[in-house]
Amino acid sequence: MKSVSELTDFYYKELYPSLNELEINRKQIVSHLKWYGSMGVVVFIIVALWMGKNFGLLHPLMIGVAIGFMAIASIAYRSMTGGYAKDFKAKIITPLIGAIDPHLLYNPDFMVSQHLFERSDLFKHSIDRYSGNDYVKGTIDGVPLEFSDVLAEYQTRDSKGRTQWHTLFRGLFLVAEFNKHFKSKTLILPDLAEKTFGNLIGGWLQSMNISRGKVIQLDDPLFEKHFVVYGNDPIEARYILTHSMMKRIVEFQKKVSHPLFISFVHNHIHVGIGTGKDLFEPAVFTSLLDYKQAMEYVNTLQNTIGLVEELKLNEKLWSKE
Amino acid sequence: MQIFLILLGILTLIAILMYNSLIGKKNQVDNIFAGVDAVLKKRFDLIPNLVASVSQYMEHEKSTLEKVTEYRAQAMKPGISDEAKIALDAKLTSALGAINIAMEAYPDLKANENVMHLQRSLSEIEEQISAARRAYNQAVTDLNNAIEMFPTNLIAGWMNLQRRAVFEITVTERQNVDVGALFNQ
Repeated sequence: MKSVSELTDFYYKELYPSLNELEINRKQIVSHLKWYGSMGVVVFIIVALWMGKNFGLLHPLMIGVAIGFMAIASIAYRSMTGGYAKDFKAKIITPLIGAIDPHLLYNPDFMVSQHLFERSDLFKHSIDRYSGNDYVKGTIDGVPLEFSDVLAEYQTRDSKGRTQWHTLFRGLFLVAEFNKHFKSKTLILPDLAEKTFGNLIGGWLQSMNISRGKVIQLDDPLFEKHFVVYGNDPIEARYILTHSMMKRIVEFQKKVSHPLFISFVHNHIHVGIGTGKDLFEPAVFTSLLDYKQAMEYVNTLQNTIGLVEELKLNEKLWSKE
Repeated sequence: MQIFLILLGILTLIAILMYNSLIGKKNQVDNIFAGVDAVLKKRFDLIPNLVASVSQYMEHEKSTLEKVTEYRAQAMKPGISDEAKIALDAKLTSALGAINIAMEAYPDLKANENVMHLQRSLSEIEEQISAARRAYNQAVTDLNNAIEMFPTNLIAGWMNLQRRAVFEITVTERQNVDVGALFNQ
């Protein structure tokens, strides 16, 4: 496993030719975007002025025209940047993952299966739309794992019959084999209730959440401050969540600074990191050579794959070897 | 009169809820103790094997081995109380720890595959026991809190519920390892 600084070196040294090539491409796209963008704005103003003269500025047709312009703009943006994103994944992300471990497989269009996502039982709502990308699968230190970007959504209808989409989870989802045998289910969720309502009322609210199973009170105050644990076997939950494991999870939470959802089901650990955005997508308006940008790609990969080492999933029980 | 009846109803309801929560907590303790018992038994089952395979090598630790066998025999007796079992478990843990350390001095033992297998089984069970103990301690703390805190203490007193003992870490486990002393041996 390479360190962050080694990977950053790799990013700037080995990938430099590809970065340069992509950077030229990116600048071209940006100038195209600026040109077409300003053209679009001018056309929109002319149309708006003409319509304002004939129908009045607040006419319903105006809204239609504005929506039409936005739709065309987003389609144009996607078609112009799509190729760039694809090149970026093939030329930068693929070798970067290869540098972390040559045995990892990467597929930019695939994702962790919905079955695994649902098996984790982290999110109670039924899923109406499931998508994702940037799928990585392989073995790190003898621990099989896979992860990808995931977007899970559900649908509601309001009183007027209009459908609305809500995001259930957006972020990175990882599944890896756990180093201990267990039969029960243990969920670790961000402790929102206790943070907002304090210890007493929050604790009571958590225990009222019947659909989750029993709240398991653990003996690590720092861990309890960040998370709430539900499970159906208090002994096995503690068998999984040893003192050192709780400490490691808190450390990991500090590192990622996004909501962390962890479940232990079926001898596997499932980790959802609610980043709220699509990762590994190139930002067209930021230079690829920008240090902050580069660090984000490297850090995300390092943190995710490093989870195996971080949580010591590689220290197997001898009976599981 | 009506207000009095309503008040009485509410008080009865509260009393019932408190009674039920106390019973729930008591049963949770018993339930988890059954889990503790199961893993403890797993360890007890391994002890005769361990003693049989190491006794021929470990001449100087005969007394420790005898102690371990005796603790096991005591713990396996029918009708033993939970508290006594907890105390025996603590003694057994420290005796096994002593055997573990003593084994370092016998290279033949470390090369013995059978003993190695037992050692690893024991350390795996040790982890399960530690988890079970923590779960038990939490359940006991919940129960003890309810027994002592107002207003549940009133009902608990009437129900004649007793405080339970928690598993304590044995003194040897709590002590930090003195590395210097180990080298001076």
